[in-house]
Parts: sequence; structure tokens; C-alpha cells
Amino acid sequence: MSPLTSIVLTPLITALVVLLIPGNYRFVLRLVAIAGTAVTAALATRLFFLFQPGGGLQFDHQVPWLNHAVFSLSYHVGADGLNIGLILAAALVGFAAVGVSWDIERQPTLYYFLLLLIIGGALGAFASLDLFFFYFFNELALVPTFLMIGLWGRGPEKNYAAFKITIYLTLGAMIALVGLILVYAQTQTLDVVKLRALIATAPLPSGIQAVAFPCLLFGFGTLVGLWPFHSWAPLGYASAPTATAMMHAGILKKAGLLALLRVALPIMPEGVAKWMPVLLVLGLGNLLYCGFVAMRQRNLNLLLGNSSLAHMGFCFLGIASVSVIGVTGTVLVMVSHALLAALSFAVSGWFHRHAGTLELNRFGGVLARVPFFGTVLIAALMAGCGVPGFANFAGEVTVMFGAWKQFPWFVMAAAWGGLVIGGVYMLRAIREMLHGELNPEFAALREFPHSEPLPEPLPNIGLGAQVVTWLTWVLNSALGGGIWRGWRRLPYVVLLASLLLFGFAPGILTERIRPDAEELVKLATNRVPTTAVAPATEPK
Amino acid sequence: MEHDAVQHAVQSGSKIQDLAWLVLFLPLLGSVMAWFITRRDRVLTTVFTLGTVILSFILSVTLFAVFGAASAECTPFQFLHIGDLKVDIGLHLDALSTLMLLVVTGVASLVMIFSTSYMHDDASYSRFFCTLGLFVFSMLGIVLANNFVMMFVFWELVGVSSYLLIGFWFERPAAGDAAKKAFLSNRLGDFGFILGILMVWSAVGSVNFQEIQASLIKNPAAMGVWAGLAGLLVFMGAMGKSAQFPLHVWLPDAMEGPTPVSALIHAATMVAAGVYMLCRVFFIYTVPAGWPPALSFLGDLSAATVVAWIGGITALLAALTAVQQNDIKRILAYSTLSQLGYMVMAVGLGASTGNPSASMFHLFTHAFFKAMLFLGAGSVIHACHHEQDIWRMGGLWKKMPVTFWTFAIGTAALAGLPPFSGFYSKDEILATALEANPILCGLAVLVACLTTFYMCRLVLVAFFGTTRTESAEHAHESPRSMTIPLMFLAVPSVVAGWFPVGEFIAGHFGVRSHEGVGRVVAQEGIGPMLTMILGGIDHALFAPFNHNALAAFLGLFGVLLGGSAAWALYWNQARDPLPGLFTNLSRAMRKKFYFDEIYDSVFIPIHDTVACIMAWFDRWIIDGLGVRGIHGTIEIVGRALRLVQTGNLQTYAFLFAAGVAFLAFIALQ
Repeated sequence: MSPLTSIVLTPLITALVVLLIPGNYRFVLRLVAIAGTAVTAALATRLFFLFQPGGGLQFDHQVPWLNHAVFSLSYHVGADGLNIGLILAAALVGFAAVGVSWDIERQPTLYYFLLLLIIGGALGAFASLDLFFFYFFNELALVPTFLMIGLWGRGPEKNYAAFKITIYLTLGAMIALVGLILVYAQTQTLDVVKLRALIATAPLPSGIQAVAFPCLLFGFGTLVGLWPFHSWAPLGYASAPTATAMMHAGILKKAGLLALLRVALPIMPEGVAKWMPVLLVLGLGNLLYCGFVAMRQRNLNLLLGNSSLAHMGFCFLGIASVSVIGVTGTVLVMVSHALLAALSFAVSGWFHRHAGTLELNRFGGVLARVPFFGTVLIAALMAGCGVPGFANFAGEVTVMFGAWKQFPWFVMAAAWGGLVIGGVYMLRAIREMLHGELNPEFAALREFPHSEPLPEPLPNIGLGAQVVTWLTWVLNSALGGGIWRGWRRLPYVVLLASLLLFGFAPGILTERIRPDAEELVKLATNRVPTTAVAPATEPK
Repeated sequence: MEHDAVQHAVQSGSKIQDLAWLVLFLPLLGSVMAWFITRRDRVLTTVFTLGTVILSFILSVTLFAVFGAASAECTPFQFLHIGDLKVDIGLHLDALSTLMLLVVTGVASLVMIFSTSYMHDDASYSRFFCTLGLFVFSMLGIVLANNFVMMFVFWELVGVSSYLLIGFWFERPAAGDAAKKAFLSNRLGDFGFILGILMVWSAVGSVNFQEIQASLIKNPAAMGVWAGLAGLLVFMGAMGKSAQFPLHVWLPDAMEGPTPVSALIHAATMVAAGVYMLCRVFFIYTVPAGWPPALSFLGDLSAATVVAWIGGITALLAALTAVQQNDIKRILAYSTLSQLGYMVMAVGLGASTGNPSASMFHLFTHAFFKAMLFLGAGSVIHACHHEQDIWRMGGLWKKMPVTFWTFAIGTAALAGLPPFSGFYSKDEILATALEANPILCGLAVLVACLTTFYMCRLVLVAFFGTTRTESAEHAHESPRSMTIPLMFLAVPSVVAGWFPVGEFIAGHFGVRSHEGVGRVVAQEGIGPMLTMILGGIDHALFAPFNHNALAAFLGLFGVLLGGSAAWALYWNQARDPLPGLFTNLSRAMRKKFYFDEIYDSVFIPIHDTVACIMAWFDRWIIDGLGVRGIHGTIEIVGRALRLVQTGNLQTYAFLFAAGVAFLAFIALQ
């Protein structure tokens, strides 16, 4: 079994194990879920460093599933430069998402089951090279997302939010499916590797490209929050439970971008030539428009949601440049934004749970009360406005370098959106929430309050069972708010540390991304039919 | 990352310039260790952070002694290598950077020693020292960077550490606001800076300073029509960091930070980074002017000329504003602005002769005396129980002799009185201006006159006259850890001008302006310099008069005029007589020429209005008309169709029969 398959299966198997644990064994549930995702994260880290930069497709694993003359499907996973970073990010964020869910009280079995499904689904979608399985895994992750918003969501508008996000994402996925079916009808395969090989000898007819490309672009674009199909995102994230917001904003959203890079760009160069200017303008909508909207938000989560959309603009700008530097930068932004969005929503979720609100003007000076979470929030907001040292800067600046020669005006607007508008709203959030005089309402705010209630005395059990119950309670309290509570910083520290690592040494990622970005750009700009091995016409 | 770097420097001992890696990373290492290990222990935190900075200083002295004016590259690390984009983290040593290393680590060490007692009672003592360490690291990164992108990275990191330090007392709303304002003004500058970097990269094909310089020497027209625009955009970075008009508004507010921070960051080092950067990338200002077709009406106007004028305007505006400020730190802040304007002007004017050395010379001397003035102000504030209004002081000279005398030396140096250091560096600027642009030279003399005026006003009001308040009555000299750094800084404040720093830097730019010690240093290294200095000190002392007597006398004339005016107006006064003499001008000066008001009522509202319109559009058009509209339409259709389903069997039977009849009718047609 390929290591990739084990990475995809570990959270899914853990999800099944979780189903077998009854809900009143909350402590066991937590431990199993954390252990499962920790193993996944460890495996993904190992895989990331085993990956040979420039070695093409690696850890390939294919299992035929349906073998029919007309209709054949196979489970096919593999890692290349485009997805290896995302797989690592998904595994780390998955671990962090389970880690910050310690305080879940209602229906914990179902909660952990759905969360683990999202993690497994996202990993599967990233690893899949077969588009059928990509679609399957993506939906496997999306459906629990909708359920979690409805069941554990917060705020008065959570039902509307769940409804809206479901409609949008389902419609987006369906439009993309139309595009995929068109491709399949022409090529009789959904395997990315086979598709590329087929295209080399027989390019897709222009008619198919003209219809399929916009389907994929807008379908997958909606999944990412391409302007103006974005308005599901801020409210959705504001209403979602913390872990779901982390997984969706950070990880799942990137599946749409990855699909664009995997399918739309390499096999439809004519579509690329025709539609990239459109993508460019819409991406600018993300960068400026969503940035401006973020400036007006009074709620931290709505602000983060809009800012997360704004950052997707950098990805669209990089894709639209169809240059090696731009595409490499796009993947770098995807990975760094995955970690950052997860970190931002994790820490905002902490504030929501312990302060009871995310309205910016109700806070004030809480940094003095909660230095750790305050510092993490400052770091996340700083990373969000492109401060060097965090991976986001490396990605965004790479995209700007990649797009500058073709679209200097758009890069100028992007820099304004990222540096200035981003700076305005991020700093305002810090100033209103963390700086200034302490709002007496939050004078009692503590980093790790003791939250574990005493267990109910159970009269009808034996002494041994009593001892076990009490021991569990002691352990639970120690880890929850007691002497061993320090570990609860771990999810935040893991995400922050990886952002800093990739920020100071982005080369670790770019050396893995670049060879495949070159390959991709070569295919995407190869507009002359039947010259499959023509030299790359890289745009200058 | 830092571990790698240190490891690397230790292992490859073959190249002595790799010591620069240690200089760079030691302060960061100290901070990180102090923060994660010894945060709760003040003494150990001080040992780690201060110790590493002092170690860094010692290594910088070594590097200066070994390399001096020679240039050397350290083994680089790859940062981003993608296609045409090759960015390294690499260090470059030459006359500019080794000199600046000395200034940064030297002043930082003294300021940190001063802080050990100034911040002694602060609950967040460790946070202060760790952030200072982070600042020193970022600043050294700017100094040592060998390429644009690395410089930008550290440029922004300096902005972050400055943000953290201005907002150090974040519980105070004013400090939070000031930190935000500083960061955003810097951001505006950096917006231009990054675009300038992109422009240079796309025109020349490299971000490495040495490579860009080499290709511009080979082909001065390589930047073509982008020369002017790229120069201006890169200059925007300097405008933010060195607080040049019109992005100067953040610096006076930044005085909300602790006074040692004002001394180190907002007087001696960070704000000088803009000037240093302009000298570092000076080669893009000496190429022929060029503008894209849309801007072709600018003709031969070079970016350097704009730089010079912006510097001159900043110097004048800030000096005028300083005349009517009453907060001791704000007066010094405006004087910093004004001196930075001088330096920037000197860079711009130097472009015509290919020699910006006067600006680096002034940066060098200014770092010492301005840091000393700020620390002196800190000592006064400390003694007067956090009183900052000079009119609520008075008569302090007898109570705090060390502070007074060092402050007086600083004032003399800032005013430009011979033989104090400021005289020599200011004279070089005046001489440069006299040759290149007489109007700016006149402006510079006016500023010199104003500088003397407001500094004498400050000294006369705060240190002389009668003691005007209770807190000034009880003032006494500060502890030794505060006075010793003052005395240490007083020495270079006097003598720094006697060293031929200007010529040393001029040698770096390949200019041999006039015979002197500097040439020997530039050509033969530091060894012969010492003998030359000892032998040539009288030469150095009178160099300004020998070199360009007119400039020297103009400067002296300004000093005397300003000094005597201040004496006449402020000797033994209890209230400021100026508002009575010039009502409107004085009000405008007090209100800082309404810059804050203009920003608050014009630019910020415009940006906010755009945001408002976008948010409205998002809420009512996209979400309202679009999403809820489609949703509503579908719902109405659904409700209409629901009416058909009555649940009444007879209705269904009727409809069924009607349908059959209809179909039958069609089939029979």
C-alpha cells in the first residue's frame, strides 16, 4: 500500500472507530480522534520530506475499480509538486482542527465522525489523480461541512448560512461536473495522467474546450469563492463551528484551485487563452472588492472570511499569468493560506468560545489578559497582511513577480489590496480587540479556564469502574485546564511554526513545486495542435 | 533557519566575512532564547539580549577593522529560485554596511544599557528587551542585505518591530493608535517600494545590488523609460521609513513608545534606514532620466531631483513645526524629521556628482547626538515623574548636571556649532547643496537657523530659568546606568565629525573629492588611518573652511542668528512669547500645518467611502438582489405551484381527467 493511501485512509478509519465509541466516553473519543490525526500529520510530514523535488509523479498507487469497455474507473492517487504541500497542510490542519475541538459537548461522537470524514475527504481529494475519485472525496468532505454548520453552528443566521453554502457549493460542483463529463465524453477517461498523454497526441476539439473550460472555471471557481460567486463564504465561516471553518476555509477550498491546475489548465490550452483575461478581472474583484468589504466588517469572523476571499485573488492572479513563477506562487499561496486561514479561524474560535462575542468594538485591551492567544491573533493578522517571515508573503510576492511583466497594473492593484487595504483592516482589528484599555467585561478572561465538570456519581457500578471514572476525570481536567493544559497550545503552535518555516525558507516548497509548474505551463501554453513535444512557449 | 546560519558560519571558518552571519543572527538568537527560556528572570533576559547585541558590536568592530572599505560577499542561502527570479539571503560587506553595522550595534548596546534602569519597574521588561533584540536583528538585515527582496523582507520586519515597540504600552489608547498609524504610513511607502523593486527587476533582470549595478554601469540606459518611475517608487519606501513629507505624520506620534525606543529606532537607526537604502541603491539615481510616454512631459526631470526637493521640504516643514512644540520628545522628533530631510536632500543632490557621502556622514554623526538627546530627554522625563512639557520644567541644570551637560553637547552638535560633530556633517551637506542647487542651499541654511532656534528654546526653557512645577522641584540626577550611556554617547557626539567619514564613504562611491585621510582609508585600509588621524586632526578640524569656506560661514551664520534670536526671546521666560508675536503662523506650527487634519478629513474618508460603497453593493446587490432574489423567485414559484396541490381527491381526479382529455385531443389532432 502506498504511503499516500495510508494517509488518506487513516482519518477515515479513525472516523469508523469513533462511531463505535459511545458519546458518554468523551475523553476516549477525543484521544482517538487526536491520535488518528496526529498519525496522519506525522505520515504526511514524513512523506513531504521523502518527496524528491523534480522527481515527477511519486507514491503512485492505482487500484482498478470498474473495468468496463466504455466506463472504467480506478482509484488512483499520487503526489507531485502541485499537491504535496497541500497534503502536508491538510494533515497539519486536520490535527489542529481536532485539537481545538476539545471543548465540544453536544453529540461528540457525531461531531468527531463528521470532522474526520472532512479531513479524510480533503486528503483524498488532494491525492486523487482520478477525477471521479477527486469528485467523490470532495463531496465526502463537503456534505459533513453542511451538516456541521447546521448542527454545531453559531449565530442567529446559521440555518441561512448552511442553506446558502450548500446551494452555492452544490451548484458550483454540478457546473464543474458538466465540464468533467464533457471531457470524459470526448476522452473516455478521467485519469489525469492518461488525459495528459491523450491530449499530447489528440488535443481536445475547440468546441469542447469552449464549453468545458468555462464550466470548470466557474464551477471550481465558485468552490474557491471567485468573485462574484463569493458571498457564501464570509457568512458561512462566521456561522460554522471552529474546526469546520478551519477545514473548509483552509483546506477544502483549495480543492477547487487544485482541480483548475490539474484539469482545466493542462488539457485545454485554447480555453486558457480565451478565459484567462476574465479570470484576471474577476480575481481583481477578489483582491480589491473583498478587501474593501472586509474593511467595513464589525465582526472578526466576517472580516477574516472576506480577507480569506481577498487572498484567493492572489491565486487567481498567479493562475491567470500562466507563467512558471506565477503558478509556483499560486501553489505557495494555496499552501500558506491553508495554514493561515486555519490558524486565524482557530484563534477567532477560541475568542468566540471564551469571550462569547466576536464584535470588534465590544473588545478592548484583552491582550493583557490572554497574552498567548492575543499574540497568536496578532501573528495571524500580520501574516494576513503580508508581513515577511510568514509563508504568505513569500507566496504573494512570488505571484507579483510572476504576473508583473504581463499585467503591471493588476499587480499594482494587488499590492494595494494586499499591503494597504489588508494592513488597514488587520491593524484595526488588533487595535480594537487587543490594544487599548481593558474592557472590564473581560477582566475575568483566562487562557485555560477549568471547564471539566465533576462526573455524575454512578451508584450501580463496581469499585473498579468507579476508580476508572475518577482517573479519567483527573486526566481530563489535567489536560483540559489543569496542570497539563499546556499541550492545548500545540495546534496553534504547529500552524504558526509551519507558517514561519515556509516563510523563512520558502525554497523547501518552491523546489518541490517548480518542476511541475514548468510542466503545467508548458502544457497550458501549448496552443498549436498536434505539436505535443513542442518547446515551451513561456510568456515573457 | 537561524540555527542553520549560525552552524554554517561556524563550520566554514575559511571565510572570515561569514562572521557577518553571526553579527546578524546573534541578536535574534538572544531574543529567542530569552523569550522561551528566561522570560521570567530579568537578569538572565538582560544577559541574553544585551549580551548578544554587545557581542554583535564587538564582531562588527572586527569586521570593520578587517574589511573597512573593501567589499566582500558572504556565502548566501537560497530564498526563492524560480525561473528568472533568483532571490538569495546573502550578506554584502563594504564601506557602507560596515560603517552602518558599527552605528546600529553600538547605539543599540548603549540604549539597551540605558533601558536596564529606565524600564526597570516595567512589568513587561522581558518583552521590551526581546522586541529590541528582534529590532536589532531586522535592522542589521537591512544593513547587510545584498539584494532588493531581502532588504524588503527586513524592511518590513523593522516596521513590525517598530510597531510592537511603539505599541509597547498597548493599554494606552494613544500608543495603540500611534503604532497603527506608523505601520500604515510605512505600508503606504512599502507599497511603492515593492512596485519599484518589481520594475527594476523586470528592466534589469536581477534583484541583486551588485548585478544591477554592474549591468547599469555597462549600459546606463538599461532602465530606459522606467528609470524615473522606478527611482520614485523605490524612494517611496524611504519616504515611509525615513518619514519624509507627506508620509512624515507617523514619526511625532511614535513618541508614544518608551523613550529608549525613540532614541534607538525613531532617531538613530530605523528612520535612517531610508537614507541608507537610498545610498545602497544609489546607482539607480545616477542613470539618465526616462519616463514612460504618459509621463513624458516630465522631460529631463530626474528622480534624484524630486528626492532632493522632498528632502528639503521635509527639513523646512519639520523645523518650522518644531519651533512651537512644547513636548520635549516631540521637539526632538520634529528635529529628527528635519535632519532626515537634510540627509535625503543630500542624497538627491549627490546624484549630479555621483557622491551621496554627505548624507551618510550626517547619518553617522546624527545617530550619536540624537540618540544622546533622546536618552537625555528620557533622563529628564524619568527625573520629573513622566512630565514631558518643557514649560512645566525649568532650572534643571543644577539638579541634573550630567544630563544637562550631555544634552548641551547634543544641542551644540545638532545646531552645528564647531567643533561638535554636527557642524562637519552639516557643512558637507551645505557644500554639496551650494554646488548643486543654490535654492536648496538657502533653504538648508534657513533650516540650520531654525534648528538652532528651537533647540536653544528647548534648553533655555527646560534647563534654565525658574523651576516652574512641583515635579521639576524634586528632580534629581538619574542613576548611573542611565548617565553612563549618555557620557559614552557624548564622546562621538563631539569627535565623530573629526573622522573623515564623508571621504571614507566617497571612496566607496569611487569619488576622490579632495586629498585627505579618507582617501587613505578607502585605499589602504584602517591600519594607516589611525596614524593619519593622529597626525591630521588639525587638518580635519578646519577641513570645512579649507574645502568650501562659503558653505561653512553660511552655516555658522545660521547658527548664530538662530541662537541669538532664541536667547532674546526665551531667556528666563515663564510663557512662550511667540504666539503673541505671530498669532496665525504660530497656530499653524502648533497644529503641525494641519497634516493630520487633512489626512483625517480627505484621504481616509475617500478610502472609507469606497469601502462603504463596496460593502453596500455586496450586501444589497450581490447578496440581496442576486442571491436572495434568485432564492425569492424560486420560492414564489414554489408557493404558486403548492396551490395546485390541494389534497382534495376530487381536484386531482378532475385534473387527471382534464389532462387525459387534453392529451387525447392532441393525439387525435
